[in-house]
Amino acid sequence: MFLRNSWYVAASGQEAGRKPLRRVILGEPVVLFRTEDDTPVALEDRCAHRHLPLSMGKLIGDTLQCHYHGLRYDRTGACVRVPGQDLIPPSARVRSYPLVERYRWLWIWMGDPALADPAKITDYHWLDDSRWGAASEYLHVKANWQLIVDNLLDLTHLAFVHETTIGNSALVEHAGVKVQRAHDNVVVTRWIIDQPPPPTFVKVGGFTGNVDRWQIIDFVPPAFLRLDVGATPTGTGAPEGRRVGGISMRNLNAITPETETTSHYFWGQAHDFDIHNPHTTEKVVAQIRTAFLEDVAVFEAQQVNLDLVPNPPQTDINADTGVIQARRILDRLHREEAAAAPRAAAE
Amino acid sequence: MTTWHRVASASDVRDGEGFAVDVDGAAIALYRINGAIHAIDDVCTHEFAVLSQGFVQDGTIECPLHAAQFDIATGECLSGPAAQDLRTYPVRQEGDDIFVGVPEA
Repeated sequence: MFLRNSWYVAASGQEAGRKPLRRVILGEPVVLFRTEDDTPVALEDRCAHRHLPLSMGKLIGDTLQCHYHGLRYDRTGACVRVPGQDLIPPSARVRSYPLVERYRWLWIWMGDPALADPAKITDYHWLDDSRWGAASEYLHVKANWQLIVDNLLDLTHLAFVHETTIGNSALVEHAGVKVQRAHDNVVVTRWIIDQPPPPTFVKVGGFTGNVDRWQIIDFVPPAFLRLDVGATPTGTGAPEGRRVGGISMRNLNAITPETETTSHYFWGQAHDFDIHNPHTTEKVVAQIRTAFLEDVAVFEAQQVNLDLVPNPPQTDINADTGVIQARRILDRLHREEAAAAPRAAAE
Repeated sequence: MTTWHRVASASDVRDGEGFAVDVDGAAIALYRINGAIHAIDDVCTHEFAVLSQGFVQDGTIECPLHAAQFDIATGECLSGPAAQDLRTYPVRQEGDDIFVGVPEA
């Protein structure tokens, strides 16, 4: 089940160029490319004639030529040339999707184009902000998108999945957790006071003693999770808002469903220290990459079990509070979108 | 026969959130509603969830997992999926100390 009336990240800005890129999004084939003036374009990746992916073709100027029989489409998806005949059938067109380049990502709108307001794009400015060092990456995951959302809303797993990087037992056994909810938002705040830093924080933050560590998870539906994480030496006032002498990072996640059982996982990491040093950015990103590949192994193993027996009974524990509140918002949005769809079709 | 246990300082119990205490192995939560402190069982009667990590609104606590709601002052279950009420306990304040009265078994 997908929410269609939302922006999703389709690709990083640099993935789209003069070589057409195919990407399946919400179960639909999409082809991404740039026109000669560098404008990014997203079209349905299926020729209106005999269904070949247009991404197998090539760009002729600003038109995309099908690899099979040479039909050419412009950036609006209209066919502008049918080899061997002068008349172009009006039905010869493919869908075009609203596409916006922002925060070094390309954002696509798969739902009703009339509702595609760029102001609704979730804020990821840290990826493109001179006050932060940052880099972003892409992972393909053979698992349903909601498993990734669940993972990022319950960070107790860090103690078990990521004990060589960003986790240690302190964040389960010595943490204060608070979940706040709003109409379309869940925030999970965890403070770990006067505890040893995890390995990654020692490597990139140089801590020698205990720290006060925070994890503030901000969820925006359908699948945007922005994490404010960091630590300062214990007792220097971070819980009261004075973040000095430590490190602050943003772990920025945008998950785009590919199919019901596969996902595009775009993520980035921003850091507020040594911001102009690409080696520092790479060091930070490498730590998170190691952790996220450990997560992907978990997601894909979960999905294998869910493929065998869909919707098995599951036990909820208190750490699931954020996950459950987010799923309730998603359930409501699915109901609202399903209720609006017949009305929109009738109009 | 009621035994009184000192469980918290008055400042521990803040508006809008539960404060979990352990009284001889019993999980009890304290809440402040309109200035008065109330003590009720802290485990949801539906499934095993810690209620004080849930959501306080208008004198009720909503279970963080499955959204059962209880009246904090009376322990009454107001909406499902739980069906049973929570036990409430008398609260006494002496200076800054909060005591909860638990019946002896």
